[in-house]
Amino acid sequence: MDVGFSAWLFAIAVATSALGGSLGMASGIFIVPVLVTFGGVGIRTAVAASIVSVIACSCGSAAAFLRAGLTNIRVAIVLETATTLGALTGVFVGGFLPPSFLFLLFALILLLSAQQMLARRRESPGVMTREEVDSSDWATVLRLHSSYPDEALGRDVPYRVHRVPLGLGLMYGAGLISALLGIGSGVLKIPAMDTALRLPIKVSSATSNFMIGVTAAASGVAYFALGEINPDVAGPVAIGSVIGSLLGARFLMAMSGDRLRLFFVAVLIALAVQMSLEAFGIRLGGHAS
Amino acid sequence: MIESLARHPRLERLLARVLDQGTWLASGIIGAGWLLAAAGWRSVVLIDSGIALFLLLPVVRVVVMLVVFVRERDYRFGIIAAVVLSIIALGAFLGAHIA
Repeated sequence: MDVGFSAWLFAIAVATSALGGSLGMASGIFIVPVLVTFGGVGIRTAVAASIVSVIACSCGSAAAFLRAGLTNIRVAIVLETATTLGALTGVFVGGFLPPSFLFLLFALILLLSAQQMLARRRESPGVMTREEVDSSDWATVLRLHSSYPDEALGRDVPYRVHRVPLGLGLMYGAGLISALLGIGSGVLKIPAMDTALRLPIKVSSATSNFMIGVTAAASGVAYFALGEINPDVAGPVAIGSVIGSLLGARFLMAMSGDRLRLFFVAVLIALAVQMSLEAFGIRLGGHAS
Repeated sequence: MIESLARHPRLERLLARVLDQGTWLASGIIGAGWLLAAAGWRSVVLIDSGIALFLLLPVVRVVVMLVVFVRERDYRFGIIAAVVLSIIALGAFLGAHIA
């Protein structure tokens, strides 16, 4: 193992996880393109290593959200049945897909993330209203409705959970993409939780973060069993991610949310261009593998 | 009317502790393996077990949820947690089988 290369991996992981963490995103969306285009790492190896770092990030920051009382663990475990199933599909289907397809899919997800970041996330009207109480819907039967402490208001705000079946469907897709690309796939989870389930933004972010770990563990365990996790790459990336995500979570708690958006949009678009070029075998920077 | 139905304050704190301590332990193991490697004594086993621990951490978290749900006689959620664990186990089984 090359100590210099490990140090480089470590530094990249710290930087990308701090970046991702400050937005409540897992770092994979930044790590995989950087490892592939600048590190000369094969996409399958980069994806498997990134999955470990996604878990590391998620576990580090999930604890803080849990303590803040923002995570809806019942919603999480219900949706995890779908995300883990999607993750398994992704691992075993991914082996049959050509790398160029994965690069293009990655580019697409990067662009979607950029677009999502530009569109301001609006608070959905999920906060409880008296009229629409349907006692037979999934969320009521499963007792998913809850409340969260709002610091600005200084009290607990109750909310209702909507359209669970639609949420499950979207989560299957999120798990699939997560496993294929080695990303937390917040880009799909957050709209699913905001618009399908209509969770308040803070609850949505915290719960999505909580679920990312289990989703990534489902694919990570499968990648590990397949022998596709390279410890020389995954090791430094994992520790770097823990440190980076701890730094990033601080920013998320402190920031109102959309201050650095434009900068991130630019980064995401640049990475999307890189991944598209990669799909066609054009490499700009770094050394060939 | 529907106040704090889905809140599990004790379980949430327990899960936070599991995730926190597990993260430190796994990072510590990988870090130790890495330092040894930098010092010229390469230990794949150490780094591999740190990575395995990271992979198992969310699994342990689901196991804790399963146990607590069953203890609270919330059998429906016990089953849901068991389903999640089975899917993960299936992935490990299929992976080992194909490899």
